[in-house]
Amino acid sequence: MEGHQRNLYLYERFNARVLGVSRDDVTTLKYWAKSLDLTFPLLSNITAFLGASFDIQPEGQPIFGRRTVIIDKKGVIRYVRDGSPDFKDILLFLKKLTQEGGKP
Amino acid sequence: MKKRWGAIICAVLVLAWLSGCATVETSKKVPYKLSPQGTVIWEDEFEFLPPPPDWKLLRVETGENDINFGFMRSDPGPFPSTTSFAYDEEPFGCSTKFEEREREFFKRFLFNAILQFQVLEKRKTQVLGGEGLEATVEGKDPVKGEKVRAKVVFGKRGDRVVGFYITQWRPMDGNYDLSAFEIFDRFVNSFKFLKKSFYETL
Repeated sequence: MEGHQRNLYLYERFNARVLGVSRDDVTTLKYWAKSLDLTFPLLSNITAFLGASFDIQPEGQPIFGRRTVIIDKKGVIRYVRDGSPDFKDILLFLKKLTQEGGKP
Repeated sequence: MKKRWGAIICAVLVLAWLSGCATVETSKKVPYKLSPQGTVIWEDEFEFLPPPPDWKLLRVETGENDINFGFMRSDPGPFPSTTSFAYDEEPFGCSTKFEEREREFFKRFLFNAILQFQVLEKRKTQVLGGEGLEATVEGKDPVKGEKVRAKVVFGKRGDRVVGFYITQWRPMDGNYDLSAFEIFDRFVNSFKFLKKSFYETL
């Protein structure tokens, strides 16, 4: 998340916004965001429907896997990667997305 | 006016987070070469004056493909007498302003290792051809009977803050060896970027 925070000015350049999604409750996420000085929204999804709809909740387990998803302005999922975010890959993809579609 | 979003990045979190951990370099592929002037050319990206040969090379694993490396030395005396220093492409924190970044950085630097922490000196400095910020700190852990003196130098690479830091650990009644800090200063003052960073080329 700190990596995303560092890259906000670059996401802005590519007309992108970042949202974090977690099963943690709102209070926990507030403290966590404060401790890392995060300024982008974190969504608390304690019922896990987002994890289920993104197919990243292992069956029978209470946690999400870690997945990065990029959705374009039409709502189409264009990028999915599991594991720790590869920030350089994300930035290159956003740059490509901007170039291919004009100013999104 | 409402601004349209071109793309949304959803980053899904897990409950556990990994912090960087240091390991001694074991790869057989050497990421550097020596110049005729006695400096090190690191992956054709950085140039710097290396420390004396008794310092071992360190690679720091961040898991986020950022460039971190440094050197460490075992010092005379009982545990934990060691000194290490490093260049960090993405030091803790996010801000591009030095004062803010220093505050963010020290929320986590040495976080797990010390109980008492104080800033001994903080001042503006010249580094990497521009303005920077330098802080010297000391931490003490009376329970473990250990102390650490550290110096952190923040500079800029393009829009982003990069960092150099040295940490010297001693038993509580041990003496610091300030000559290691002079070696660190020479490393920092000699450090040059040979090409633009990835972020500057976007």
